[in-house]
Amino acid sequence: MISALAVSPVAEIATLLAPAAQPAAVARLGIADVSATARYGCKGPGTIAWLENLGLPVPPQPNSWLPLDGGGLIARLGFTEFLIEGPDALIAPLASAPRAAGVYPVLRQDAALILGGARLDELLRQTCNVNFRPLDPATRPVVLTSMVGVGVTVIPELRNGQPFVRVWCDGTYGHYLWETLLGIAVELGGGNVAAHHFN
Amino acid sequence: MKILTCPLNGPRPVSEFFYWGEVRPMPNPAAASDDEWADYVFNRNGAPGVKREWWCHTPSNTWFIAERDTEKDVVLKTYFYTGEE
Repeated sequence: MISALAVSPVAEIATLLAPAAQPAAVARLGIADVSATARYGCKGPGTIAWLENLGLPVPPQPNSWLPLDGGGLIARLGFTEFLIEGPDALIAPLASAPRAAGVYPVLRQDAALILGGARLDELLRQTCNVNFRPLDPATRPVVLTSMVGVGVTVIPELRNGQPFVRVWCDGTYGHYLWETLLGIAVELGGGNVAAHHFN
Repeated sequence: MKILTCPLNGPRPVSEFFYWGEVRPMPNPAAASDDEWADYVFNRNGAPGVKREWWCHTPSNTWFIAERDTEKDVVLKTYFYTGEE
């Protein structure tokens, strides 16, 4: 199921900080909307073999992820469900490839956010029940949990020595999740920044 | 805060879970009497004790079984359903 959204679920409310203010906000707690990135979802008992036949690496453990050549990632959600995200050149052939038996498409019209900065853990402690601090980003964990009451998929990482998370949720909750997280980020001295600041 | 342990996602607050009732094998609808079928459809066992229950971790849609002592409100163990023994 191809899922490159024409318009982000939070496009109408995501207003960037002034460019001069963004570097300082990123250092404290930046939040960026990356919902327009192409992604593909699939699940089913035949999915692992099908993805391997397409030449994609399959994370060996449930709830883990792997980076993809050319950018992007593949996340294993539970035992046999996968979320693949990356450039159009990666996702479009995947979405148009004939599916094998036991492979079912999963519509991914997510709101996708990234957050990072020195005060990220303070935001996570206010919004989420999972303690992210003991998690080792080097093991590439995927956390499926609830954030301010919304079911989310979270990947914690370290970027430029700072904690960083990718967050996906159902697009219909995007407005609420974005407003809530942005409000906390602003309280913590951060704000809405362009995604390239996290590269 | 009550904590329930999902067999896949680990310990989580019970607010992340959904309860779907006691595990109750369905009688064969073609062979069951009307009384047996009505008992299955309409009646539930409310007596306290150790029960096998369906629970779902909603953020990941992971369904599993929890053995829970409903008299003491203690979860004894959780595991994936592997069919009726």
